[in-house]
Amino acid sequence: MSGCGAVVGGVSLDNVDVKTQSVIQGVVSQNDAPASVGYVRLLDKNDEFVAEVPVSKQGEFRFFAAPGNWTVVTLIPGATNRTPVSAALGKIVDLEIVIS
Amino acid sequence: MTNNSLVDATWALAHLDDAKVVFIEVDEDIQAYAANHIKNAIALNWQSDLQDAVRRDFVNKEQFSALLSAKGVSNDDTVILYGGNNNWFAAYAFWYFKLYGHGDVRLLDGGRKKWELDGRELVSEVPTRAATKYVAKEQDLSIRSFRDDVLNAIGTKNLVDVRSPDEYAGRLLAPAHLPQEAARIGGHIPTAANIPWSKAANDDGSFKSIAELKALYEGAGVDLNKETIAYCRIGERSAHSWFVLHELLGVKNVSNYDGSWTEYGSLVGVPVAVGDEPGAA
Repeated sequence: MSGCGAVVGGVSLDNVDVKTQSVIQGVVSQNDAPASVGYVRLLDKNDEFVAEVPVSKQGEFRFFAAPGNWTVVTLIPGATNRTPVSAALGKIVDLEIVIS
Repeated sequence: MTNNSLVDATWALAHLDDAKVVFIEVDEDIQAYAANHIKNAIALNWQSDLQDAVRRDFVNKEQFSALLSAKGVSNDDTVILYGGNNNWFAAYAFWYFKLYGHGDVRLLDGGRKKWELDGRELVSEVPTRAATKYVAKEQDLSIRSFRDDVLNAIGTKNLVDVRSPDEYAGRLLAPAHLPQEAARIGGHIPTAANIPWSKAANDDGSFKSIAELKALYEGAGVDLNKETIAYCRIGERSAHSWFVLHELLGVKNVSNYDGSWTEYGSLVGVPVAVGDEPGAA
């Protein structure tokens, strides 16, 4: 049985058939450096929580969503960011989230 | 918020070096603990430590006793559980410790996320604890439901599906931090109300106030005087909601269906509802 746990940075795309997935991924940075401590959550079109991952040491995150409109919310110590995004089947959306 | 089942960081900081208080980080992915953790915390793996290696079930009473004995946990220790994923697996472990009758077990409010976002210290040193002779009790099955309990609850008891609205409706088959599997059907158990676990938590992972939690369940039309069964996908998010109902709101007749959607959604011949509405019995 596979669990529900979120791995740091999100699940690797290795061995994942991207054609069947709607991937939203990206990198969080602050002061020109990756944010190594933080959490990224995915909200649906009604602003409901769907998933959350801790960022990797390189500030990376990844979600496997469904086609449609989503919001990516970034939480780092002392700051938050909201980024709207559209996902499509078979596509990888790459985000660069810069926290000022 | 603190009570007999929940502690905050202030309480935790005052007890980090207390020999009778055992901090335990519980995750599915133990890389986080390996990187760093709260001082003097030990680790439990949600899967390899707490699940039977062959069957889909928990380790038995003797195995749980052996596990905690080897980890250096005594029956009279105060166990403080925390973890990532907004304390999902820590709440699951809390319910599990209760299932096996541990006397004093509590959650750290907000878990690892709030601790990190608040900039509190994490260390890499792994503590050593002398082995004990832990003795678990028989499972308290009043807080655990099985598939037949759930089937019999349709139309007669409260069923609360705590997954995200998209999983409830069948639009997603798993949380969106995981690849979407293709082989399992989507949907929910007919009549189940959708009260996502996340509505009980603040952004930093801490629990909302008692007043907010009461309003959440009453606003969703759940009669808490009736027996309630919570479920999710594998039983850990619903353990979080079970904690809210049983430990924070004091609802006694609530149980967790740990088989959850991965079991129910694979059963042959059972009723399933799709879409945003609960569906009829």
